[in-house]
Amino acid sequence: MIKILTDNWSTIITGFEFTILSSIVGLLGSLILGTVFALMEMAPNKFLKFIGTAFVEFFRNIPLLVITLFFYVVVSHAVKINGFWAGTIALILYTSSFVAECIRGGVNSVDPGQMEGARSNGLTYTQAMIHIVLPQGFKLAIPSLGNQFINLVKNSSILSFVAGLDLMYQANVISGANLDPFNTYIVIGIFYLLLTGPLSVFMNHLENRLR
Amino acid sequence: MSYIIQFKDVQKYYGDFHVLHDINLTIHPGETVVLIGPSGSGKSTLLRTINGLETIQKGQLIVDGKDVSSDKTNLNQLRTDVGMVFQHFNLYNNKTILDNIMLAPKIVLKRNDAKNREIADQLLKRVGLTDQGAKYPAQLSGGQKQRIAIARSLAMDPKALLFDEPTSALDPEMVGSVLSVMRDITTSSSMTSLVVTHEMDFAKAVADRVIFMADGKILEDSSTEEFFKQPKTERARQFLSQVEHH
Amino acid sequence: MSKLKGKRIGLLAAVVLVVVLVGSLVFGWTYHEYQSKTKNSLKNIKSAHVMRWGVKSDTRLFGLISPKTGQSEGFDIDMARTVTKQIAKDQGTKIKPEFTPVTTSSKIQLIKNNQVDAVAASMTITPERAKIVDFSNPYFPAGQSILVKKNSGIKNIQQLNNPKSTIIGVMGTMAMETTKKFAPKAKLIAMPDNSQAFSALQSGQGDAMTTDNAILYGFCQQSKDVAVIGGTFTNQPYGLAMDKGQTDLQKAVNRALKEIRADGTYDRLIKKWFGNIPGLDWRELTK
Repeated sequence: MIKILTDNWSTIITGFEFTILSSIVGLLGSLILGTVFALMEMAPNKFLKFIGTAFVEFFRNIPLLVITLFFYVVVSHAVKINGFWAGTIALILYTSSFVAECIRGGVNSVDPGQMEGARSNGLTYTQAMIHIVLPQGFKLAIPSLGNQFINLVKNSSILSFVAGLDLMYQANVISGANLDPFNTYIVIGIFYLLLTGPLSVFMNHLENRLR
Repeated sequence: MSYIIQFKDVQKYYGDFHVLHDINLTIHPGETVVLIGPSGSGKSTLLRTINGLETIQKGQLIVDGKDVSSDKTNLNQLRTDVGMVFQHFNLYNNKTILDNIMLAPKIVLKRNDAKNREIADQLLKRVGLTDQGAKYPAQLSGGQKQRIAIARSLAMDPKALLFDEPTSALDPEMVGSVLSVMRDITTSSSMTSLVVTHEMDFAKAVADRVIFMADGKILEDSSTEEFFKQPKTERARQFLSQVEHH
Repeated sequence: MSKLKGKRIGLLAAVVLVVVLVGSLVFGWTYHEYQSKTKNSLKNIKSAHVMRWGVKSDTRLFGLISPKTGQSEGFDIDMARTVTKQIAKDQGTKIKPEFTPVTTSSKIQLIKNNQVDAVAASMTITPERAKIVDFSNPYFPAGQSILVKKNSGIKNIQQLNNPKSTIIGVMGTMAMETTKKFAPKAKLIAMPDNSQAFSALQSGQGDAMTTDNAILYGFCQQSKDVAVIGGTFTNQPYGLAMDKGQTDLQKAVNRALKEIRADGTYDRLIKKWFGNIPGLDWRELTK
């Protein structure tokens, strides 16, 4: 196992870097997009609500691999898009549908009196959302968001299907060469733990601090 | 005579349920009006139609010269002129006390920071909570929260204030401090106040008029003295004897 | 107090879980090693009257699932059938072939796990693999080539030897390693299997796809806008693979191969699958 690590150190580190990059971009992207679509889902405007709901239901109910291959094989005819970005964009779209549901759940569990108080105070719906309801909703959504972010890191292994140069891809390459998948995947599993472990601890810490 | 709030043949339904029947009511500027009646009589609903938190299905409702029942009316504009104090305070849990008071003036009225702070400090003094500005709502008692809620409404410099059972959720020992702030506002200023309450002593002391409601109808609309001495309806007499023996 | 107790029980449960997991892994591994030392594949095949083959399901000409039958069809499958039949004849018993689909990366693991007796899956004989599995004598003279879009203007692999070019390979194939030698400056990406590598080439994810020439010819047959160019630049024949140490089976397979070459069956199969491919002379393959 140590030999796998030393023989393939730079390959593994490259994969680790791409997995981290995809996870960070995916996390930020899905947080922003997820919030936007959660707001659309909850909007009083029927058209926005339809778009938001349609988006969430669509991306939540098709496999991540299908979205990934769609970008890699189909979209790339029109716009040049490599495996890393095809996978990462798919990851953002897929995860943001779940993030939207977490945030909607969080916002829905904010006391309706908060909105009423703000509206009676003269704030518009949007102002009340931004200043009062959304910050409280986010706080309530943190535990479920944490789960989604850990899933996101693990789901980034989808990149391996489209040569996205991530950890899982490198694991496949290494085990294809050394013919020892057993130990190779154990080593790679440990690297995933190095990412998800601290993320998990951080989310727990955030949850406790904000309680 | 001029009026600030006028209901004309107002009807409200929740689905098939008829909540408000044929409401006709006129409130004059500067008046303090108390709404009383058994629970479920529609007092709170009536109050909440005034700033558009509840919609009406028929009739006309004019507040501060604006037709609340019309879709074209800007309710946000109206709400800056008509403040509301809730049974459960509805303070912003994610903001400090000062920010609770200063948020709406800052982003709605675009009041400058120095002026805003000055007014907030005066209001905190007025409700007797001068040193509490940096705290969060969760750190205050119920009575303190309600006084902050009143200060928050006053910061918008409204023409009218709506009180929706402001003392019902409070421990008995907290009630006095809130009532004394309300008494101060209703007697010492030109504020128009509508108060839904079960505090009969408070009604007797500050109200110009008493509206008695039951089953979604206004049964009596009399001067305070008249109402408490000689209620016109049997229903009101019953109600008064029940609350006073309490 | 009870909360503390709960935490302790949780910790204990976690420790027990880890111990059980590690324990069963170690046990499984040891048992597996023991089994592979004592098993005799040929004996098992004869007594079960079944020979289990791992074959490809995504490789045109060698092993591709037919939508009509749902079965893999191709040169590898026919080879496996013929070899099985020949072994049965040699051993004087009846043996039925049975097929399991494998991928490039899973084929060795399936042999090791004793889920198949042998693999006929366009598998190049290499010294690295020969340390882990035993190969038969070569049964197909493959060599690596590149496949490009006809309108790309690329004539040979040297043209791809620059950092702007991307070459698509298939995970777990020798082509990945050899490409590094012939076009060290090109970017190299690996797809999980042949058909995905081909769709990556079609959607412009790379300038060329590289793997064994025979597989690439299969794609030419399927799509008119691609071409195999520059001939082969390696010599990497395919072998049938069995688990390490299965000498009886290996001997039986080699004997069968020799016999079907001698009686003309082999040539017939080569002609059947590679007889009408543009740019490929099937007679070259039988030498």
